[in-house]
This record gives sequence, C-alpha cells and structure tokens, in this order.
Amino acid sequence: MANSAGADRSGTLAQLLARVALADQRAFAELYRQTSPHLYAVALRILREPASAEEILQEAYVSVWQHAGTYVAAKSQPLTWLTSIVRNRCLDHLRRRELDTFPLTSGADDEPAFDPPADSPAPVDLLVAGAEAQSVRDCVETLDAGPKQAIALAFFHGLSHAELATHMREPLGTIKSWVRRGLERLKRCLDGAGFAR
Amino acid sequence: MDLARPDRSERLDRLAAEFALGTLPSRPRARLAQAARTEPVVAAAIGEWEQRLAALAIAIPAVTPPPRVWTAIASRLGLAAASTGTASAIWWNRVGVWRALTLLAFAAVLGLGIALLSQRAAVPEASIVAVLAGADGKPALIASARRTDAFLLVKAVSTAPVESGKALELWMLPTGAAPRSLGLIRATGIARVPLPAPTDSSLANIPALAVSLEPATGSPTGLPTGPVLYSGPIERMY
Repeated sequence: MANSAGADRSGTLAQLLARVALADQRAFAELYRQTSPHLYAVALRILREPASAEEILQEAYVSVWQHAGTYVAAKSQPLTWLTSIVRNRCLDHLRRRELDTFPLTSGADDEPAFDPPADSPAPVDLLVAGAEAQSVRDCVETLDAGPKQAIALAFFHGLSHAELATHMREPLGTIKSWVRRGLERLKRCLDGAGFAR
Repeated sequence: MDLARPDRSERLDRLAAEFALGTLPSRPRARLAQAARTEPVVAAAIGEWEQRLAALAIAIPAVTPPPRVWTAIASRLGLAAASTGTASAIWWNRVGVWRALTLLAFAAVLGLGIALLSQRAAVPEASIVAVLAGADGKPALIASARRTDAFLLVKAVSTAPVESGKALELWMLPTGAAPRSLGLIRATGIARVPLPAPTDSSLANIPALAVSLEPATGSPTGLPTGPVLYSGPIERMY
C-alpha cells in the first residue's frame, strides 16, 4: 500500500471522483477509462456471464455518477470504494437469483453451479498474488488449505456457503466454520501487521 | 436485533466480514445492507472489511469492457458523449484531447524551441512543423514539410521501442471528422510520408497529427484501433 505509484493512482482517482461529484463529464469518462477494465474483470469473475457483468457495470457507473458526492476520501481508497460498489451489486444479483431459483428446501445435493474457467489463474493463486504487501501475503499463508480455498472461491467467484459445500464436497457446517475461522484469522493477522488503518 | 449495540460488536463484525466476502445469504444480506443505511456503526464495520479484502482483488487481470457499455451509460445519463460512442474510439472528438494537445503544444514547442529550430535548419524552408509528443509531454516525432511539397518528413526523435508485430501509424486529425490515415511510419530514423496533394491543400483543415499503435499491416478498420502514443498540433510558419 505504501508504494508511490499506487498512492499517485489513488490521488488521481480521488480527484476524478471529486470532479465527478461536480458533474464533470470529462472526469467521469476518464474515471471510466481508468477503472472499468478492473471493475469489469471483478464482475466477470463473480457473475461468469458477460451480459450480466456488462449490465452490473452499467448500473454501477450510473450509480457512481449519481452518488460520487458520497465518496469520502478519508474513509477508503477510491478503487476500494468502486470495487465494493461493483462487488456488492454482483453479490446482490447472485443472491437474488438464488432466492428465485432455489426452493428453500434445497440442500447441498444440487448440481454444482460452479464451473471455473480453464484458462484463468486458480482463485488461491490470485489470493496470494493479489496480496501485494508482504504482510498480506504472510497473513494469507497462515490460513489452512480448506479455509484458504473457501475464502478464495467466495471472494473471487461469489460462491455462497451452499455452493462452497457442493463444490468442495464438504458438509455445510464445515464450510461455515472454515469461512468464519479463516476471516477471523485474516483479520487478526492483518490488524496485527498494521494493515488497513 | 440491534447490531449497533456495543455488546453485539463481535456478531456485527462477523456479519460484516461475511457481507464483504459475499457469503451471507440473500435475506441476512439485505437486512444488513438496510441496517448500514441507518447505522453508521454497521456501515463502518462493513467498510473495514471491504478495505481489508480489497487488497486481494488487485491481481485480477483487467478485462476491457465492450464499447457498448460506455455508450449505454452515457445514454442513460444523457451525457454529451452518448451520441459519439466509446471513450476509446472517440478520443479525437473529446475536448480533453484537444486541451491536452494545446498544453502539449506549449510544452513541446516553447519548451524545446532549440530542438525545433535545429530541426527547421535541417529541413530548409520547412513551412509546416508538428511536434508529436507522448503522454509525458516529451517530443517523440517531428513532422515537417514545405507548403508546396506533397510529402511530410517525419523524424523519430525519441520514440519508445515498438513491440514486434506492431507498427506506428500516422493520422491527420481533421476538425469535426474522423482521423485519416497517412500510412505507417518507422519508429527510428526519418520517414518520407506521401500526401495526396501539396501540404498547402492536403493539410488545410488539419489542426493536428497523431500516431497510434496498430497491427504490423496497419489499422484493419481505417480508423485508429490501438492506443494513441503521440500527438501534436500542426504549426504553420506562413
């Protein structure tokens, strides 16, 4: 987080967001140019359907244009803020669809709804590669294999507890406890390393 | 349940973590999102987790969305760009490009007057000069011609190496119209670029030139398809 290129980029994006809040169309186009490839990749990975990913990306930027004023630089990095908007819309979309598609009685016997694209890096690899700072990498490495994979699949592909159970062929209770323990451990480790404020 | 109560902080943290990770099922997810809108403590707990997990998303390889996404966004918001297509395809129509060109003109022409003068000396009677600069504002190419010549001399001053399988293509940027290709140019040395007519007439309504990165055989569409590496306004010395 401390590298200066990243800090410069954050500064630029924060300035663009500030201008977008004042309805500056050029700044908005530039913000889109700089951030849409990252956000589209995030959406594609979670939704696994280009059409849905495009739709979510559209909605997200429309929302950014309308709500850029609510972005408070002090509270989070601009790219974190934007990524969260897209991720949350993707997750809402997935969870809504589940509600529509699956009867409440559906269990872990359902067909796996998950088909990882063959040519992309596996989620666990992404977890480790994405954690740029050594402290983050170290923290991820402290996770056991099960929790690490469960968190990676949930984070990068939007899998729910039930989908994780199906995909990893583990009981739902095991999955829930892996995710909970994994997140707790990650938090303790990251906070201990002084990461994220 | 009031998640904002201090004695609930552990449960709130766990819910916020699963919210940010994405594993909360639909109904608890909707309830927590609703609570975050009215309870700053809940919003902050979610924000902290989003921040923690954000570092993980950095390595996802970027994927450029199709141009129609921007078109749809601009049209839904009624933005000026709505009628002109995507941000990348219409760069020559964006005011920002022209503002940048103007700034580059000052930076390049004024800041490097000596280079320009020596270049003019090397091409006697040059009456049209364009200094094409990259994003860093440094001149990369200098194009010059006499009014009566039907060709441009384009000298590479400091261009970045071109990867194999790619080539540099030179474009005229007419006012209010799409760019017109002047063909491929070399990334080193001096290229002699033929014009359809003497510069006086063929560049009459051309305020600027640009160079884009294209496939080795040139743009397949007749319009720039790759990034614009260098651009600059045409200076007329008459």
